[in-house]
Amino acid sequence: MYQDLNPLLHSRLRLAIMSILISSHEADFVFLRKATNSSAGNLSIQIEKLREAGYLIAEKSFQGKMPRTTCRITSAGISAFEQYVEVLRQYLPGERG
Amino acid sequence: MQNYLVYIINLFIIATNLKFNTMETSLSEKESLDLIRQMISTAKNNLQQGMGNIFLLWGYLVAGISLGTFILLLVITGEARYYAFFLWSLMALGAPVHYRLIRRLERNRDVTTYVEKIMAWVWIAFSGSIVTLIAGIILSAFFVIPLFTDVGTNHDAIIWFQWLFLPPAMLCLYGLALFVSGKAYGFRPLAAGGVICWVASLILLACLHLPRTQEIQQAMLCLCATAGFIIPGHLLNRKEQNHVPGP
Repeated sequence: MYQDLNPLLHSRLRLAIMSILISSHEADFVFLRKATNSSAGNLSIQIEKLREAGYLIAEKSFQGKMPRTTCRITSAGISAFEQYVEVLRQYLPGERG
Repeated sequence: MQNYLVYIINLFIIATNLKFNTMETSLSEKESLDLIRQMISTAKNNLQQGMGNIFLLWGYLVAGISLGTFILLLVITGEARYYAFFLWSLMALGAPVHYRLIRRLERNRDVTTYVEKIMAWVWIAFSGSIVTLIAGIILSAFFVIPLFTDVGTNHDAIIWFQWLFLPPAMLCLYGLALFVSGKAYGFRPLAAGGVICWVASLILLACLHLPRTQEIQQAMLCLCATAGFIIPGHLLNRKEQNHVPGP
């Protein structure tokens, strides 16, 4: 039934990450973890998957002595998200055709 | 032993991933949309904690300097009264404090929305416009106005008249930046401050012919700094104190 939906985005955590990044210029790893209510390990894995697909950029920096990871959506990520939402609309009553 | 540990850790990661993937398959189309809506709302455009202090810094600085200039203009007579305007060079004191406040804001910022990014550029453009106006007036006094060679031309009067246009132009730009900020962040006092600045700019343009126009301009700048920066700044800080931090 969901064969047209992008499997990379059709995941609770990855979709949550992409939804936050589509509406923000950039988001901190800690913010993403708290907003998605996920564990750091799980979030890291999903961010890495999205990064490998070219959907986001993860920049590592230092804030004083503390390491910091900031994520930003790419144009490929924006296109994939828009396409995902477009396909999703077809499944909703009254949205088809 | 070390290899064994790495193997166990990898197994744990794969297991969590599998668990997660199982959870993924149960995501319905309605749940997907609800999730998107919920996540987008977490990164909504709230004015960030500490933003009020930046408005207070520039508000008190402009209000203090304009009030000081106003008093000096009332007290000093003759040619020396022009020196009262040198008080405005104290505005440079705001730059290092502003830099420190911005650094602190950035340290505490965990998400940057597009609106925040655009608003930062609006305020940079505002500062750039003010600097351009002042630089333009100073440069024209040295390089353009001396070129007017008609008999009876009073060069000092032209330069002085150019300076008279600066406060209304500044207030017009204050109005633009404050109104856009207020509307973008949904914070009415800022937008109201912007409208007040526009009205004040119009009043100043209508008062250019009056003998006490410089005093009126300084008083109006003080009033607008209070209405556009100081009052919204305090309201913003009070709002932040009552605000429960997001996720």
